[in-house]
Amino acid sequence: MSQTLNASPHSLREAFYALSVAQDIPDAKLLDDVVRRYPEFGEELTEFAIALAVDALRGERVTEAAEAALDPSVVSPAVSRAISHFQNRLHAVTVGVHAAETKPATAASADAPNPFAALPRQEFRALAERLNANAVFVGKLRDRQIDPRTMTPGFQRRIAEELKAPLEVMVAHFAASQSAPARQFFKAESKPSAGGQQTFEEAVRSCGLTEVQQQALLEL
Amino acid sequence: MAQPLTKTEPDGTLYRRPAAVEAQVDEAVQLKLPELRRRLLVVDRDDATFLRSECLVHLLRRGRRAGDQALMSAVLPVLLSRCEANLLVTVPDGRMPDAASLRQDILDELTELIVLDGSGPNPDELDFYECRFNRAFRALRIDGVRRAARRSKEIVDVAALPPSEAKGEPDAYEDAFARVSDAFKVFPTQEWDVFREPFLKAIEALPADERDAVILVHVLGYKEESEDPDEETAATRCNCTGRTIRNRLTRAAGKLARFKEDL
Repeated sequence: MSQTLNASPHSLREAFYALSVAQDIPDAKLLDDVVRRYPEFGEELTEFAIALAVDALRGERVTEAAEAALDPSVVSPAVSRAISHFQNRLHAVTVGVHAAETKPATAASADAPNPFAALPRQEFRALAERLNANAVFVGKLRDRQIDPRTMTPGFQRRIAEELKAPLEVMVAHFAASQSAPARQFFKAESKPSAGGQQTFEEAVRSCGLTEVQQQALLEL
Repeated sequence: MAQPLTKTEPDGTLYRRPAAVEAQVDEAVQLKLPELRRRLLVVDRDDATFLRSECLVHLLRRGRRAGDQALMSAVLPVLLSRCEANLLVTVPDGRMPDAASLRQDILDELTELIVLDGSGPNPDELDFYECRFNRAFRALRIDGVRRAARRSKEIVDVAALPPSEAKGEPDAYEDAFARVSDAFKVFPTQEWDVFREPFLKAIEALPADERDAVILVHVLGYKEESEDPDEETAATRCNCTGRTIRNRLTRAAGKLARFKEDL
């Protein structure tokens, strides 16, 4: 069963919630009802309903027991990282909102929020892995070093999905003009300036990726 | 007073929290921070002071709207710890190539919903979590697993089942699937607990097309096929013929036959 690549992730997730929240184990009537409401996701919803049913075999007792065994005074490393992610994203979103409120409408496009900005290093690397690329390539995406007109819509959608950011935010980010690195100190005598942009293919070819990795990215 | 939800059912009625959640939210929003922190330490669901996850989501949304860092900092670790405990059971190491990263992604995704609450194309997504937290979270989890599996395009840890002695025989077919259907009706019992893990593994180990056929027919209750072209069946859901569905069921029956006496 294939994924509907053109589907909005938000609509699809809404459909998944509708299926999951209604009953512990879906039945044919429920699945038919939800597919009627979201006919574009028939295959995904069928696959999802099957996954829900299999998941229900596990039963809630096991997960309830695991939760009951928690020591609430201890925060695990994974939870710490999630809290850190939350705080970073909250900061980025809050700053973005404030910037939008204080900047005039004609503000430079470089002020578009950068969805990569709040990624901790570990997550930055994880994103590179999920894309089957490397940190150099993701750095080019972050720094807007790639001409967005040469990116395929499929690639932009994939990045939006991986970053859990709305597609329009990603498009705005890529379309925004480059800005110089916002660091305070520089080794050179003058502040670095933004360089020219590469085509998507040039960027893919010049990041030290294997042939297979390059091909996979170019086919998105 | 809890802020009303804004998400609507297909018929246009607003989503409503279950009465017990509503009552607890009304009580929890009145708590001073020290008392709230004390209540957050309660992990026994049967304790009257235990705060449900639905209630924690409400408090987080409240904190997010008000920019109340102290409230968010008190509640978020507790909710995330519960979710992590759930994920350690449902997405255990070995099930996926990088289960730890996947669990982290799912936790991060939940925090993302809180950050983006009230904005974007789905501003009231957390309404689901205030109504039925566990069911909403399983949707997030299964979607995460689904996307990860699509990315990796590989399935690991497919348990090899012993060869069945009853492969393809009609009686074995009926017996095995009667047990499958029963399993979904009786699984909350202690008797079921004994067979839960091996049965789950056996179902998960079936080839995807066979597993889909079994679940669609014997759990969701679809007919294998129908003469009515407008009727949805297992065959229409899988885009194949009724005969293909029956073949898949027969093959699956052989693999599940070892459970026919046990369940």
